Amino acid sequence: MFALPEKESRAPSTCPGPASTQDLDSNCGDGLERECSRKPDQKLPELYGVGDPTAGFSSNSSHLSSRGGIIKWFWDSAEAGYRTYHMDEYDEDKNPSGIINLGTSENKLCFDLLSKRLSQSDMLRVEPALLQYPDWRGHLFLREEVARFLSFYCKSPAPLQAENVVVLNGCASVFSALATVLCEVGEAFLIPAPYYGAITQHVCLYGNVRLVSVYLDSEVTGPDTRPFQLTVEKLEMALQGANSQGIKVKGLILINPQNPLGDIYSPAELQNFLEFAKRHELHVMVDEVYMLSVFEESVGYRSVLSLERLPDPQRTHVMWATSKDFGMSGLRFGTLYTENRDVATAVASLCRYHGLSGLVQHQMAQLLRDRDWINQVYLPENHARLKAAHTYVAGELRALGIPFLSRGAGFFIWADLRKYLPEGSFEEERRLWRRFLDHKVLVSFGKAFECKEPGWFRLVFSDKAHRLCLGMQRVRQVLEGKSQVAEDPPACQTQEPRDRHRNCALRSQDNPSLGEDLPVK
Amino acid sequence: MCSELTRSSQPVEAKTKAQGMSHQSDVLPCDQLRDQVIGNQSSHTQLMETLLHLRQTVDDCITQLTTRPPQLDLPLEEQRHNQATGEQEAFLRRVVNLLQSGAMWGLGLQAPRPTLGPRDDAGGGQQAQLSRQLDQLVHQLSHLEVAFVSHDLSNRGIDISAFERSKFQDFKTYQGDKYHEDKNTMGFINLGVSENKLCTDLMTERLSRSDMNHLEDALLQYSDQRGQPFLREEVARFLTYYCKSPARLDPENVVVLSGCCSVFSALATVLCDPGEALLTPTPFFGGLVMGSYLYSKVELMPVHLDSEITDGSARPFQLTVDKLEQALLEATLKGKKVRGLLLINPQNPLGDVYSRDSLEEYLEFAKRYNLHVIIDELYMLSVFDDSVTFRSVLSMESLPDPNRTHMIWGTSKDFGISGFRFGALYTHNKEVASAVSSFGFLNGISGITQYKLCRLLQDREWIDKVYLPTNHSRLKAAHRYITNKLKALKIPFLNRGSGLYVWMNLKEYLQPCTFEEELLLHHRFLGNKLILSPGKTYMCKEPGWFRLIFSDKPLPLKLAMHRFYEVLAEQKRDLRVKQLEDPQKE
Repeated sequence: MFALPEKESRAPSTCPGPASTQDLDSNCGDGLERECSRKPDQKLPELYGVGDPTAGFSSNSSHLSSRGGIIKWFWDSAEAGYRTYHMDEYDEDKNPSGIINLGTSENKLCFDLLSKRLSQSDMLRVEPALLQYPDWRGHLFLREEVARFLSFYCKSPAPLQAENVVVLNGCASVFSALATVLCEVGEAFLIPAPYYGAITQHVCLYGNVRLVSVYLDSEVTGPDTRPFQLTVEKLEMALQGANSQGIKVKGLILINPQNPLGDIYSPAELQNFLEFAKRHELHVMVDEVYMLSVFEESVGYRSVLSLERLPDPQRTHVMWATSKDFGMSGLRFGTLYTENRDVATAVASLCRYHGLSGLVQHQMAQLLRDRDWINQVYLPENHARLKAAHTYVAGELRALGIPFLSRGAGFFIWADLRKYLPEGSFEEERRLWRRFLDHKVLVSFGKAFECKEPGWFRLVFSDKAHRLCLGMQRVRQVLEGKSQVAEDPPACQTQEPRDRHRNCALRSQDNPSLGEDLPVK
Repeated sequence: MCSELTRSSQPVEAKTKAQGMSHQSDVLPCDQLRDQVIGNQSSHTQLMETLLHLRQTVDDCITQLTTRPPQLDLPLEEQRHNQATGEQEAFLRRVVNLLQSGAMWGLGLQAPRPTLGPRDDAGGGQQAQLSRQLDQLVHQLSHLEVAFVSHDLSNRGIDISAFERSKFQDFKTYQGDKYHEDKNTMGFINLGVSENKLCTDLMTERLSRSDMNHLEDALLQYSDQRGQPFLREEVARFLTYYCKSPARLDPENVVVLSGCCSVFSALATVLCDPGEALLTPTPFFGGLVMGSYLYSKVELMPVHLDSEITDGSARPFQLTVDKLEQALLEATLKGKKVRGLLLINPQNPLGDVYSRDSLEEYLEFAKRYNLHVIIDELYMLSVFDDSVTFRSVLSMESLPDPNRTHMIWGTSKDFGISGFRFGALYTHNKEVASAVSSFGFLNGISGITQYKLCRLLQDREWIDKVYLPTNHSRLKAAHRYITNKLKALKIPFLNRGSGLYVWMNLKEYLQPCTFEEELLLHHRFLGNKLILSPGKTYMCKEPGWFRLIFSDKPLPLKLAMHRFYEVLAEQKRDLRVKQLEDPQKE
């Protein structure tokens, strides 16, 4: 899941505007498989969209296979934003004018706690069994620990079983493996959009599985509804639409807490979606990778594993990882929980490609076992820091009069910048993103999440105060520069810094890159 | 009979194969089904339902299949595209896939054996009886059940699962009943999985040093998909030095992933489209089949090598350009698109090392036909005999076709840390490197692990002065011990100075000399708690060959050889009895 960040920060460029209108010949699909050649889709673009990750791809390589060409294209197209960032990463001392990353969903607030915990002596054990081939599902000691951990934190009504756990190197791999073992080439999963865009690539690379977006609306339609609310009707419509195009849908992906909305499904909603899936014999993959990053207690998050009775346990597959909740995306630890032994076995046999080091497995088991540290040190502190960072960014956005969504979960705010796009086009959205980048702040634009309304951006707030503050300052400058075209320099530097962000003001003043002319490409 | 077969005229060989197949199909489904039914469904009613369902499926299939034996007519079937047979075709294709993978792996491993079946004790008497009925039912129609192994998995999911069940069943059994010096002296000794267990002391000590435990925020965060820059730089330096590269290798050409299987699978995916093929001299390490086939649907076209020394060759199983040409031609005639050539050097399971001239010839051959060459040098530092000169492909002054030459290396074998899951690709081709990098998040390595690996590869002093000399002398000693035993037993084997294994010929113990007998012998070893790898696993075309891993500690090794000896003695006795009985029957 290195891709998470890359995809996210890079995602912008994976979505060159005109893409899906381009009709491609079959050589860019999986050559042998007819299903994969694409059709002119989106007859009902309002309700759903059939994902075509490779639309816009055209390249011929003498060395790569046709799918290799597509895979390389993923890499190339993803490069722009990410590479720009990586060549010019912000560093307080060495590169203060470098790019601030508010695009990659990583929690950088608790490294101090983590490094302390991971350096304790219990973490450092090396023994021969850890150096040799493991059970491909993961070492038993770790799977047992994962089962206990999930039983506790997901509040499962009965203890979860180690036999149902498969350990992989990140949730990206779980998506990839599930897609491969549940779908034939060219089949599809439903996914409510906007969604974390990297999943497109996860299910496509090996599995050649597509995503059918269930488009959600920012508009609130009734008294009890909220923006971008998922409903069973929308799922039904999208499923019907896909079926009518001859696309076989095998499952539904739910992200809870949602990324990028920061939304949370109520138990009743969850139940409805699961019932819908059961009616249509769809697998449900529930990605709960942010389950412990719910920093607003009032939100009342419920894991799918806490439900008294799953409508279709054999088709319900839950994934979790330490990437987000423990701020260790680079550690590559993810896990699948499924009662379906066939699925678990099939995924496990792909684990030889998605395994993680025995030493790391040991560390993870130690970490998950340390309930005292998690409950008394890590989680309270992490939540407090997330909350503070969230409050700050939310405040900044309010000051700018920018509407946004955030329900107290996740690392990001889903911000509505539509007022900055006079024409309301994705082209403009992309240009605005580019202006942010040129102004040394990396954010993610809505198109990267398959959002159907241009103008939404995701801002990640789980970063250290000084970076966050500087990042927001740059955001503000771009927006104010944009909204007050041709006016005098914005009053950004007069903005009073909060106490804990003291550094920011200083830094922004001696930052030479700020306030320069913005080249628009 | 045995000698006849080894000289193998084509038809005899074919017949053997066909027999092998039918045998596979008999064994596999029963067992799978039992697993399915007994293992996963507890209640009697469910079992009965399954039975009924099975009967129904079976009946349906009979009506469809009565006219022809399934696997032989597949190509014909495929040509007829009518709706009615569509489903059946897909089904048959899967069966054939399954058989193929079974053939490669010796699926029969998992044939129900009392000694091997802890899972069997799940069923009570009633269930056992049911399962027996089930067996009979299935026995008649062998593979038809595959279709409902699971309602939840895709076809490829079923393939993958079946593979897991077959290939790893004994590995799992082994995991649950491992030999341990003190705790479980009766447990399985695994001389089947290629792991170097001789230097765990050195490695544990080195990995426990404090420099390994460094932590910084970058290690916990997403990194460059190709791998952390510090690790790629170190890998480039390391390979420059140990592969004796004429010029410094470029870190930009390095991609690191979670294990060599991942590297191979990613490479196969970006170089070949589904259904395309790679030429592969056999016998060869079968683990790659999985990577190429199950995930990426790339086929391996065997270039069958002979144990006999003929005009063109100087030693057994020698790869020659003639053989490559011929295999390529045959593949082309069959309508297979061959995209590349897969070489393993030092070879696994033969232990051979390619001379510089041979290597160059193979590369030139590949260049002539615009083939990629994937060269796996996973054992390059496990050449323990000083008289053997290993030449890495990266040591060549000029590669015939640098843009189509891709080298794979990892620490699993040479450093005995297969549990680390680290593999590296070195390729001059930027396109290929980029494409493979896309897999960086699906096959990525933990930052913490990357750091440790970097420290390890950096420590040239320790590697050169402590690790490699010790490792080589221990390998040498273990190899000497095993080969002396084999000599004493008059068992022919390839005496090579590299790798962790000995490739030996047990055809004297097979009567007749067939793959079925090979499998039976393998089961005999298993029954005596000894895991070896039968030649069929390596797509060897001659029955009777086995690979034995010698890189284990003296104690288990000694015990293993004792068990080995016992099994062979028992086998010999049985053969004698059989010989006496045979004429009586006639």
